[in-house]
Amino acid sequence: MSTAIETHELSKRYRRASALTDCTVTVPEGRVCALIGPNGAGKTTLLRILAGLARPTGGTALVLDGEPRQDPAFLADIGFLGQEIPLYRSFTAEDHVRVGAHLNPRWDAAQARTRLEGLRIPLDQSVGKLSGGQRAQVALALTLAKRPRLLLLDEPFAALDPLARRNFLAALTSAVTDAAGRLTVVLSSHLVTDLERVCDHLILLAASRVQLAGDIDTLLAEHRLARKVEDVALEDLILTYMDADGTPAGNLLTTAGEES
Amino acid sequence: MTWLVWRQYRATAAISSVLLAALAAVILVDGFHIASRWHSILAVCAGSSGCLQQQPGLVNGVVSDLPYICLIVPVVLGMLWGAPLVASELEARTADFAWTQSVTRTRWVAVKAGWLLLAAVACGGAVSALATWWSGPINAQSATAFTPGQFDAQGIVPIGYAVFAMALGVTVGTVARRTLPAIAVVLGGFIALRLVIANLLRPHYLAAVTTYFNVAGTFTPSGQPWVLGQGAVSRTGQTVAAGWGDLEPALPAACQRLLLGAPTAKNGASMNAVFSCMQSHGWRGFVTYQPASRYWPFQGIETGIYVLLAAALIAVTFVVVRRRDA
Repeated sequence: MSTAIETHELSKRYRRASALTDCTVTVPEGRVCALIGPNGAGKTTLLRILAGLARPTGGTALVLDGEPRQDPAFLADIGFLGQEIPLYRSFTAEDHVRVGAHLNPRWDAAQARTRLEGLRIPLDQSVGKLSGGQRAQVALALTLAKRPRLLLLDEPFAALDPLARRNFLAALTSAVTDAAGRLTVVLSSHLVTDLERVCDHLILLAASRVQLAGDIDTLLAEHRLARKVEDVALEDLILTYMDADGTPAGNLLTTAGEES
Repeated sequence: MTWLVWRQYRATAAISSVLLAALAAVILVDGFHIASRWHSILAVCAGSSGCLQQQPGLVNGVVSDLPYICLIVPVVLGMLWGAPLVASELEARTADFAWTQSVTRTRWVAVKAGWLLLAAVACGGAVSALATWWSGPINAQSATAFTPGQFDAQGIVPIGYAVFAMALGVTVGTVARRTLPAIAVVLGGFIALRLVIANLLRPHYLAAVTTYFNVAGTFTPSGQPWVLGQGAVSRTGQTVAAGWGDLEPALPAACQRLLLGAPTAKNGASMNAVFSCMQSHGWRGFVTYQPASRYWPFQGIETGIYVLLAAALIAVTFVVVRRRDA
């Protein structure tokens, strides 16, 4: 099985602080990977480096067998959705669909329109006038319409109510199924229960470092053996490793705010 | 990419076109008015030399400031279009969207900046064409096309200013990553550079010509020259500027006495005595100027300077956009 993401001691230092330190992870192709960690753990930084939006200050990142770079073929393979939902507020959803058609080789405009119509999101209204949840749905539809091989989603649930979240996850799951093992997804979130439903892989970041990474079932099995307990929930596993780092575990589950 | 640029700027383009059309209407109405007065002055003065300059001035009131209104167009373009080009996309995070489509950042910024620079050329050219046409009779009456202020609003230099202001806006916005500070820097930077180049550099694009003449006579360079200085110069190189304000201490004692006998410098007879005294002591009149024939070479040199600066700024933009994090 080929790997979609392979990083080696990936680091990002800003002038004052380290956002990511010696991050070494591997995500096989076709996986749906949860990126978990408290605010400021480095989740956004990692996703932005993988998308080619930020440059690492140390280490290497291989994404779909190449370094993230300014190359149309690489960019066509990456779907990125930032937590600020980057859309042109004065554009309508339809404008965005048309922009995407001009800028991408494999653009599926029909699919994007069908998805948005199915969610009853007006295509002809400027996205600045849509609700936060609707904007997130528009942005996801656009990201999927690009037909990427790697989907990088940063806090996609932040603006969504429970129903919209379920729609979003359903859309994501069907996109992964449709791609038949060719689509890899990395999504960051605080909401472990949502992630548990769709993810089969895990990267746990805290204080800019990787605390835990791997296949979720394997990690759970190892944890069961180590602790000699019958049943372990993903949440327990995560909390254990957050505690080990001395990070207040409460942070992880209760804070749903923005992260810089 | 072009479709994205059009979608982003179509409202701006429409508003700007309306404003430009309004400015054009004012200039055209006033310009035709000036032209008709000029033709009647020409009819009155037919054949008699010096008559044109004695006729009343052609401009009056607010419209006399038209060339100056035209002077601010380039910097406004740089502030309102150039500065937000990259900065606003970083501020609104739309760069995350644009830079994760299947188009490299180089191409993205090349197409966006390319179209806006083209728009700057068009706006600068249109405004300059109007100002040049409007100024035609005034240039002819008072021979001022080459003088500072007039020179800056006519010919091809406004195109250079517009291209430079746009490039400055784009680059400062890209480096600062924020629109408002960038706008302030563009305004200050553009004005400062324009003043420095117009006042310190422009007089020296080509070595000025100095013509000497009998201090009692006069000399007027032909056509529409740019007079940089005039007055009288002694055998030893001591100069006194025209206006004669500081003439007395500079003169030989013999001539000073004559000057004191002419309490008002306007006393023609006495001044003639002073002049002939000066002449006998070796004083000559001089005019230092850029001849009228250098008008277009100077337009070309100044435009070239601004276009080269703009190219350097755009090169910086490319490097920064490619390298910096979104």
